[in-house]
Amino acid sequence: MSVLQQERIVFVGAVLILAAVVLLPFATLVAELAGSLVGGEAGAAFELLGSTRLWGLLGSSLLRAAVVTVAALAVGVPLGLVVARTDTPGRRLALVLHVLPGLLPPYLLALGWFHLFGRQGMLGSEASARLLFGESGAVAVLVLAFAPVATALCVLGVWGMDASLEEAARVVARPPRVLTRIVLPAAAPGVALAALLIFALALSEIGVPMFLRVETYPAAVFARLAGIDYAPGEAVALVLPLALLALGLLAAERRLAASRDYAVLGLRGAARPPLPLGRWRAAAAAGCAVAALLAVAPLVALAGVARAGGGFGELSRWAGGSVTVSLTCAAAAATASVGLGIPLAYALARQRPHARLPDALAVLGFVTPAAVLGVGLIQTWNRASLAWVYGSLAIVVLGFVARYAAVAIRTCASLFASASPHLEESASVAGAGYLRRMRRILIPLHARGLLAAWLLVLAFCLRDLESAVLVYPAGREPLTVRIFTLEANGPEPVVAALACAQVGLVAGVLGLLSILIWKGVRR
Amino acid sequence: MNRVAAGWRRRPARSAGTLAILLVGCRGPECDVVAYTSVDQVFSEPVFLAFEAETGRHVCAVFDTEETKSTGVLNRLLAEAGRPRADLFWSGDPIRPFVAIDRALVEPYDSPAAAGIPPPFKAAEGTWTGLAARARVLLVNTKRLGERERPRSIRDLADPRFHGEAAIANPLFGTTTVHVAALASRWGEQEARVFLDRLRENEVQIASSNGEVRRLVVSGEVVVGLADTDDAHEAITSGAPVEIVYPDQEPGGLGTLVLPTAVVRIRGGPHPEAARRLIDHLLSPPVEAYLARHGAHMPLHPGVQTPLDVRGVHEIHAMQVDYAAVAKTLERIRPWLRRWVGL
Repeated sequence: MSVLQQERIVFVGAVLILAAVVLLPFATLVAELAGSLVGGEAGAAFELLGSTRLWGLLGSSLLRAAVVTVAALAVGVPLGLVVARTDTPGRRLALVLHVLPGLLPPYLLALGWFHLFGRQGMLGSEASARLLFGESGAVAVLVLAFAPVATALCVLGVWGMDASLEEAARVVARPPRVLTRIVLPAAAPGVALAALLIFALALSEIGVPMFLRVETYPAAVFARLAGIDYAPGEAVALVLPLALLALGLLAAERRLAASRDYAVLGLRGAARPPLPLGRWRAAAAAGCAVAALLAVAPLVALAGVARAGGGFGELSRWAGGSVTVSLTCAAAAATASVGLGIPLAYALARQRPHARLPDALAVLGFVTPAAVLGVGLIQTWNRASLAWVYGSLAIVVLGFVARYAAVAIRTCASLFASASPHLEESASVAGAGYLRRMRRILIPLHARGLLAAWLLVLAFCLRDLESAVLVYPAGREPLTVRIFTLEANGPEPVVAALACAQVGLVAGVLGLLSILIWKGVRR
Repeated sequence: MNRVAAGWRRRPARSAGTLAILLVGCRGPECDVVAYTSVDQVFSEPVFLAFEAETGRHVCAVFDTEETKSTGVLNRLLAEAGRPRADLFWSGDPIRPFVAIDRALVEPYDSPAAAGIPPPFKAAEGTWTGLAARARVLLVNTKRLGERERPRSIRDLADPRFHGEAAIANPLFGTTTVHVAALASRWGEQEARVFLDRLRENEVQIASSNGEVRRLVVSGEVVVGLADTDDAHEAITSGAPVEIVYPDQEPGGLGTLVLPTAVVRIRGGPHPEAARRLIDHLLSPPVEAYLARHGAHMPLHPGVQTPLDVRGVHEIHAMQVDYAAVAKTLERIRPWLRRWVGL
């Protein structure tokens, strides 16, 4: 078998698996929509798309997502630069605290802000409540929830840049100029990816806008699946504009990132000395402190509610086995996503023909409202012959992979693109096939980066609520689902304590694994 | 080459083994009976645990989250219609079971434990049986109300004295949907639409769930909210300055809407015998007593002891409704209800 054949077989296999996970549920629903149209039962489905009200809702939702994206980048990118490459005091602590809110479903953060700035909140007044409940509050909560994505990807992009570029620039330019003219452009692919992720996350978010009385387009999709009637065909019709939007986003992101080489997650420049900020150091430290404070404020509020009501003492009783379920599913999904992502990302990075197709498919899975994906998963996998999948946590893992494979593919693609192809070419000349080059060169060479990608997907899966809630097997709910099923009438201190436990769990797992990886690096 | 990288080369078998263990870990415990419920987990889970302790049979449950944060277990039941995974559905209201009944997903079961349940709260043919009811009440923040006259009727939500200071849950979800359908059933659809339009003119806040209505009233964001008795009870026990008003209690008035929870057996469920036993357990007086004590639910069996602050079904002037008719009304009003919400 030729080298090219090997690569094609592996690529096609990975594409087929991705299609089974992402496209099949979507296709099942589209087929249902088509069937109902033929039967003349669902003319309403496409009539919906003629509704000016819904297009207005889509417009306002897009605008909100755009504002959130710009603001989150405005917060996250400068912070990422400062944290990753300067001598600002307390920057590492600031980074750790800043990313904590990213580990919670945003709705719980909104709850934390409510405990702070609601009319009778710890710092609340009528004016603060008026600001919180409305468009401004929704945007602010979402910005603070998603800014850590921008910060993290910017930091990883900066750490992964070629150190020699920065060193050369430092000879002729002052640190602020080096940061803005050399370091920032090097992180551009990571920032573009962050923009894509944040926009998609902000657009699909339902919990925060509804909690803060803001109407949103995904709620219209959701109403076809969770409201007074069950109309998956109509939900799919409403998803079609979002699918087109996903493709548009993908094209825009490609245009932004195309002129740069991918340099995210390589961690090749981690050992460089930090850039001295001089007189800007105090201002940068103040900025870091503000970012950290804003990040922990809602968590402190939740912890305060939990502590005051004795919620922490009740944790083990209320959490049940949900922590184990969360960890098992997230680890399996992260492993599967990265495993699937490696051949697809390699093809993308090396600009192979048709490599953009699975990438677009994965992005479609990321931006499709999770409720639609969930119903599609049920209708695809709930069959007698597939009971071993649908009746077990494997269905949750599939849901996670469908939703977050995009994260794995893009980060792995960044890794492979950042490396010179010369090593592979040499190996190829020496007779090494595709699989052998993967196993002996690419994977070992990028082991740290691949583990970082695995951690990133793990983090997304551990904080996921929407994908799991519709398909989890009876009696085996992840921690996020348990928090939300208890949120209705469960004791408020317990719900707050569980939210704190969720942060602790994800932070603990990520921290521990990061240390292990770092120790591996140092040895 | 670093240690991590070397690990990838040296230990592929170990890595694969780890993954295999993870995937094997995806297998869950054996389920003796599978229950889907939209009754709040905090109340329903202990009931299932008591059944497990009594019978030694393991109950696997899927609980609903607050209305707008999930797609709801009923819709999961519908999505799974081709191959049911649930043995029974314990609904938080008596209307949604009709959706399952209309789609032929329900197997009638005339439980002997339902003998004491009054006829209005169960189907004669055994398709659904009610238990442990809740009432739709006005929850009032007395501190924020001040000297203003207390609300006494559901219509007071549209009264200008509560302009911008009243809240209801989104009527596309949960018991609020049922409430609107019940009003349309009693008043006629036209009058119900006028009432909803007046609510909008009065800038009533639309919360995403009854739990959030409770939170808004407790925190003083609004003066009055429409919620279920269990939400109201939770607010009272939190020590907040709130009181419960059973609306429209004047003689000849509309009355307060009473909504029993309701249980149905799913046709083709994997554990039919255990499902019958669990339904018998749910319909027993001790379960109603438990739900009365812990969730302020109103027992339907006569003679079940309730706490002093929980009124019995017969102690209030209840709205006269035929739940089957309300379910049909709900089918009709869906389009304009969705338009009213703007979705």
